[in-house]
Amino acid sequence: MSKKLIKCKINKQEIEVPEGISIIEAFKKLDQPIAHYCWHPGLSVAGVCRLCMVDIEGIPKLQIACNTEVKEGMKISNQSEKVKETVKWGLEFHLINHPLDCPICDQAGECELQEQYMNFGQYSPNMSERKVKKRKVIDLGPQIVLDSERCILCSRCVRFTDEVSKTHELGIFNRGDRSEIGSFKDKPLDNNYSVNTVDICPVGALTSKEFRFRQRVWYLKTADSVCVGCSTGCNIKVDYNEEGLFRVRPRYNKEINGYWMCDKGREVYRLPNRKGRLLEAQVPVPRFHGDDGHSHVGSGHSHENGNPSVSSVEILQKIRKLFLVDKKENKNANNVLILTAQYTNEEYESLISFFLDNLGTEKDIFYWKNNPESFNDFDGLLLRGDKNPNTKGLLEILENKKTLNSWEDLESRLSTGKLDTLWVAGPENQKVYPKLEDEIKFFESHCKNIIWWTVHPLPISDLQNTWQIPTKTFFEKEGTIVNFSGIKQKIRAVEVLVSAALSLSESVTLLKGEELKKEEPPFLKPPMKTNYFPGKKKVI
Amino acid sequence: MSRVERKNKSTVWYLPAIFKGLAFTFKKMMLNLSGKGRMLTLNYPEEHYSYGPRFKGNHILTVKKDGALRCTACMLCATNCPANCIKIIASEHEDEEVEKYPIAYEIDILRCVFCGFCEEACPVDAIRMGPEWQTAGINGADFIYDIKYLAQRNTLKGGVLSRVDDKERHKAGI
Repeated sequence: MSKKLIKCKINKQEIEVPEGISIIEAFKKLDQPIAHYCWHPGLSVAGVCRLCMVDIEGIPKLQIACNTEVKEGMKISNQSEKVKETVKWGLEFHLINHPLDCPICDQAGECELQEQYMNFGQYSPNMSERKVKKRKVIDLGPQIVLDSERCILCSRCVRFTDEVSKTHELGIFNRGDRSEIGSFKDKPLDNNYSVNTVDICPVGALTSKEFRFRQRVWYLKTADSVCVGCSTGCNIKVDYNEEGLFRVRPRYNKEINGYWMCDKGREVYRLPNRKGRLLEAQVPVPRFHGDDGHSHVGSGHSHENGNPSVSSVEILQKIRKLFLVDKKENKNANNVLILTAQYTNEEYESLISFFLDNLGTEKDIFYWKNNPESFNDFDGLLLRGDKNPNTKGLLEILENKKTLNSWEDLESRLSTGKLDTLWVAGPENQKVYPKLEDEIKFFESHCKNIIWWTVHPLPISDLQNTWQIPTKTFFEKEGTIVNFSGIKQKIRAVEVLVSAALSLSESVTLLKGEELKKEEPPFLKPPMKTNYFPGKKKVI
Repeated sequence: MSRVERKNKSTVWYLPAIFKGLAFTFKKMMLNLSGKGRMLTLNYPEEHYSYGPRFKGNHILTVKKDGALRCTACMLCATNCPANCIKIIASEHEDEEVEKYPIAYEIDILRCVFCGFCEEACPVDAIRMGPEWQTAGINGADFIYDIKYLAQRNTLKGGVLSRVDDKERHKAGI
């Protein structure tokens, strides 16, 4: 049922809004700037910061915009001198006990207190009393550090634990200027959504242990992406710079995740980072040494885990020669394609059609499910048991191709002992495949050749039959992924961190014997036009 | 390249000017030998020219009263640096009152343009430009000054004390 629309005027601009929304929401709709701390679109209204003051024609005193409904014909303004003066003094009161911590505060640069101060600052403070000292650096659970001195008591985090995560850990204790945010007897804030409190904290009172002191926020660039931690597909913002990725934050999407994301999902920032990645392709051990009469492949050096490494383009050309053109390795061999649901639709399409054209039939394609017993788990908010971002997309494609073979089918097939070559699009996030080591050993013992696309090196060293080809992560490739409810989402290539990594489509191009399209190196791209300075991003 | 032949006879008369110059040099030499002349040059490296105290030379990291680094690793100097020559790695300090401190602070002095913006940006008087200016070294590594060199090199005689003291600030109620 659509609500009745009513007309009102905001800063002399006319706008039609649905009945019952607050003035601050109308301001947000018009993109008019309005100072506020305690109001958050995803939480209930508290009305404690008294910063969103507006002037309403006909009402003698100023009203708070977050707790006042818009009425027909209202004329609202927040540009008058009266409003500015009030906000200025409100801010002065907020800063009375706020410490001079900006140099060591992690929030500096994205701090709303700093931002409002630039607009409404009382540059010569009138406060002569001593500041009230409170506790600092309180260890509040596995993810969070609390600094109650910096807190301005907006109560956003308290409302978050009450309303969204419904775990009720946080509260405001004591009264007056001794009021403090915290948990009862410093009980840890240990739920799967705790880092959201860091995101919504307008100041640096709650900081994330994972990100603390690792980078100043003004050195980070932000790119939009989609979380690949589970099949929910939360929309995220990735903060990165030339040193790598540093954190992810939720991005608003009404249909999927709202304003939040889970702590498990925040770990996806580690996946594309170079640390722990497979930086070059690796060939099986005996092949390189030429023990069993095979030629030397490439001119690589030994990688940490024992397998020799070579350029990934070279290795794919070699694989093409051995398995597709000469069929030296692949004589009378059965080919089997195993797919995990951690790649994009486009990659599946190109790999499956290539496989069907050149290597095998519909019977030879298998879908690898990681944790069938907890696959349909759901924590009631966002996190799902299916830890693959594109299960739905893969299943749709497989259904279209009329191949729906499961892991059990594969096991029974491998046990027959006929199989020769295995093509595996392995998991991007190996952590969510708990039995991965056993499965690799199972493949190794049953197959003569395994060609494995992977982001991280496989956890077993000295593999005798496995060729490892580095693949791109969600941060480096473009494509479509489909979440659990069938919503298609585009991910876009931001930056390539491992130059040897190839997406499945690129690997297929090489296997077909075609040349890769050369990409422009990043330094040839047009330079960024916005600067790193916080607050209003101005053009230099 | 073409050679210009000067036809004018008057240009041959360069010899008087040469002798005039030689005479001046000889006169100066005799004065210097006899110790009466004012030498314009220094016998470097035995003698040094001393600049004023406000000279912006090599950087110094100041220390607190307990000898620990004053720097809080806020990265404002690195942000402000136009030559991008400061590299800091911050870490969590055991002491709650310190909270954040640099575990690495490097200045690539060959990139530094000695503008003094780092000194200006520092909120706690942790970095200063000192009076030293000789930046000799044998290899590239000598020109990357690390924490130890910046704070505790021999010429600083145990470190320079910062003007900003947290404890005094707290006493004053800030």
